[in-house]
Amino acid sequence: MDWKKLQNIDRRIIYILLILATAIPMIKPLGIPISTSAQAEKFFNIMDAIPAGEKVLFSLDYAPSGAPDVHPSAMAVMRHLMDKGVGVVFIAFWDAGPMFGEQLIKSYEEQGFEYGVHFANLGYLPGGESAIKRFGEDVVGQVSRDFRNNPVSSLPIMQGIKDTRDFAAVIDFSAGNPGIQEWVRQVQGTLDINFLAACVTVSVPQTMPFVNAGQVKALLGGMRGAAEYETVMGKPGPSVAKMDAQSLGHLLIIAFIIVGNVAFFLDKKAK
Amino acid sequence: MRREVPLIITFIVGMIILLAAIFTSSDGSPFTLKIWADELTDWVIIVSAFAVGLASVNLFRIHGDIIARQRPGWINSLTLLLAIIVFTIVGIIARVGSNEFFDTLNQNLYDSIISPLGAAMFAILAFYNASAAYRAFRMRSLEATIMLVAAILVMLGKAPIGELIWSQFPSISTWLMDVPNTVGQRAIMIGAAIGGFATSLRILLGIERGHLGGTE
Amino acid sequence: MMIMAGKVTLLVTIILFGAIVLIGINMSKSGKWTPKIRRLAGLDAIEEAVGRATEMGAPVHFSPGIGNISDDSAPQTFAGLEVLGYVTELTAKYNTEIIVTIRQPNVFPLAQEIVRQGYLTAGRPDMFQEDTVQFLSSEQFAYAAAVMGIMNRRNVAANIMMGAFWAESLLFAEAGAQAGAIQVAGTAAMAQLPFFVAACDYCLLGEELYAAGAYLSQDKVKLGSIGAQDIAKGITMVVLLVGSILATAEITFLADLLKK
Repeated sequence: MDWKKLQNIDRRIIYILLILATAIPMIKPLGIPISTSAQAEKFFNIMDAIPAGEKVLFSLDYAPSGAPDVHPSAMAVMRHLMDKGVGVVFIAFWDAGPMFGEQLIKSYEEQGFEYGVHFANLGYLPGGESAIKRFGEDVVGQVSRDFRNNPVSSLPIMQGIKDTRDFAAVIDFSAGNPGIQEWVRQVQGTLDINFLAACVTVSVPQTMPFVNAGQVKALLGGMRGAAEYETVMGKPGPSVAKMDAQSLGHLLIIAFIIVGNVAFFLDKKAK
Repeated sequence: MRREVPLIITFIVGMIILLAAIFTSSDGSPFTLKIWADELTDWVIIVSAFAVGLASVNLFRIHGDIIARQRPGWINSLTLLLAIIVFTIVGIIARVGSNEFFDTLNQNLYDSIISPLGAAMFAILAFYNASAAYRAFRMRSLEATIMLVAAILVMLGKAPIGELIWSQFPSISTWLMDVPNTVGQRAIMIGAAIGGFATSLRILLGIERGHLGGTE
Repeated sequence: MMIMAGKVTLLVTIILFGAIVLIGINMSKSGKWTPKIRRLAGLDAIEEAVGRATEMGAPVHFSPGIGNISDDSAPQTFAGLEVLGYVTELTAKYNTEIIVTIRQPNVFPLAQEIVRQGYLTAGRPDMFQEDTVQFLSSEQFAYAAAVMGIMNRRNVAANIMMGAFWAESLLFAEAGAQAGAIQVAGTAAMAQLPFFVAACDYCLLGEELYAAGAYLSQDKVKLGSIGAQDIAKGITMVVLLVGSILATAEITFLADLLKK
């Protein structure tokens, strides 16, 4: 047997098999059950403890590239908060962020929720980490008009908000930098706000030190985090549906790794 | 003076921002250094905007040359330059004017071109992850074997099917992320932070001048 | 004027570590102390990579990362630009083409100047062309797509990536692998280190990137700074160890002191 060939499978074969492994479960779901992690349960409990009438700040710090991994968490958490009667205010330190805010808002406006009362989109603030710092300390001083060009002071949901401590929680939905670390450094550390985060899967390892230190109260990691949140909520949604594809994708990659290593060892033995 | 002036500016601006992050006024009145620091931060954004213009000139020169000489791939260069012009004009009118047509066009261009293209590029990572893992995860050494085993355990722990295979995979995966991963991340984070501090200090004090070009 | 609440420890740390770095630099400059940097295989491999590109008659691709010079990725970007200067002089020595791709508009004029000066220092100012340093796009994945296209069309033989990278790191590394290039990468962006380690031939981890300039130039100032950083790390380790022991014994005075 030519073990060398098994060690050098044409990558196009890998790509085709991966497409099939991820596409087939999207068409015909397998229904693999999802267990929930302590982080997702903690995140849910913190959100669930917020009384109706309070406000939560969403910082939408991602671009279209990272959106498939982190936007589902924003959708799931917003659904929870809208059901509870908690207001949501959006801000973004990435230029694409407000567009995702509008996407989230539009679906609820169609259901009868009112802009300015149940939610508001404050738009994009340039300046990265220093903008986060200044916004954290003085929300209304940094944003005079929202994304729809309304004066922020005229929005009922913004009444009583001076700085980020006036929000019941601040959640950063992050695909990179500026994001979670900047919020922790500049705002959580100085103002001691109730700070949670959701990030792309690849950022989870570097965010864990902040979670373990208690600076990030709870973390939703990637689409898996969103799926777990939907499961804890008892309302499985689009993220749960996509987990089957992730399962098969992972299994396929592991299978190729095993094939490659078996071929590697047998080739060595044959020599 | 060509090298001294940037160094002096770097020092003054850096010290203002650094001191404004540490000190405040003792009587609660607006702190002068903080006002200056906030103003300078705004200037950074403005200077960056000018840098975009400068870089765009380079883009036009290079691709304009390719188009003019009809070098291979000149159609791509023409598409690029036309796209820059169209997106810039539409974006400026949508932002500065209050024209509903351009507002909608701007949003549509973003939603139908930029957004899917960005998502597609990110999606390519899934395939590259697979081919890189297949190519690189070989048990050539002890360290490579540890990396391989850890990767497989985390993948099985994160995917729902892993728990179906063995109920302990999620716990093992969580332990790997909470303990060895956090330890390694903290170690690299501290080392990189100290390295970044030393580099920044050298730049602030003008000891480091490599970024200004030429020998020191 | 007074120190803000919670910033006393920060101020003391800046002064202490700053003093250690400056003393280390001065001692190294005066010859009283010459820190030795251990061998960094990735940096040694750069000359091998450029040599390979020369033999194959193919260009070298260099990216100083996608970070800016006005945020916390600035130290990585500057470190990458230091390596760029070295690589430029090498390519001039071997008469090999280098293609430098830039994402951040602010970094573009710096990179141009470094490459121009590098050729001048090597006595080859004629090698600098208008498209030697190219600004591609400030959009992350547009930049990634352009770099992948360049590596594929130009069949680069060496791909050197030194600086701050994000999600596009694996795209570059795989595109370089598909082009058959020898790849040397270095970043302090922790999330991207696993991709570079898996996909590149050589990788500098975290602060090894910051040591690159000192290692390549053997400049006394930089060596002194690297040595001083190690002393600062040692102090940090002692504080961590003492703090862990005290925290385990539920004695919180050190933790409270550090929060001031």
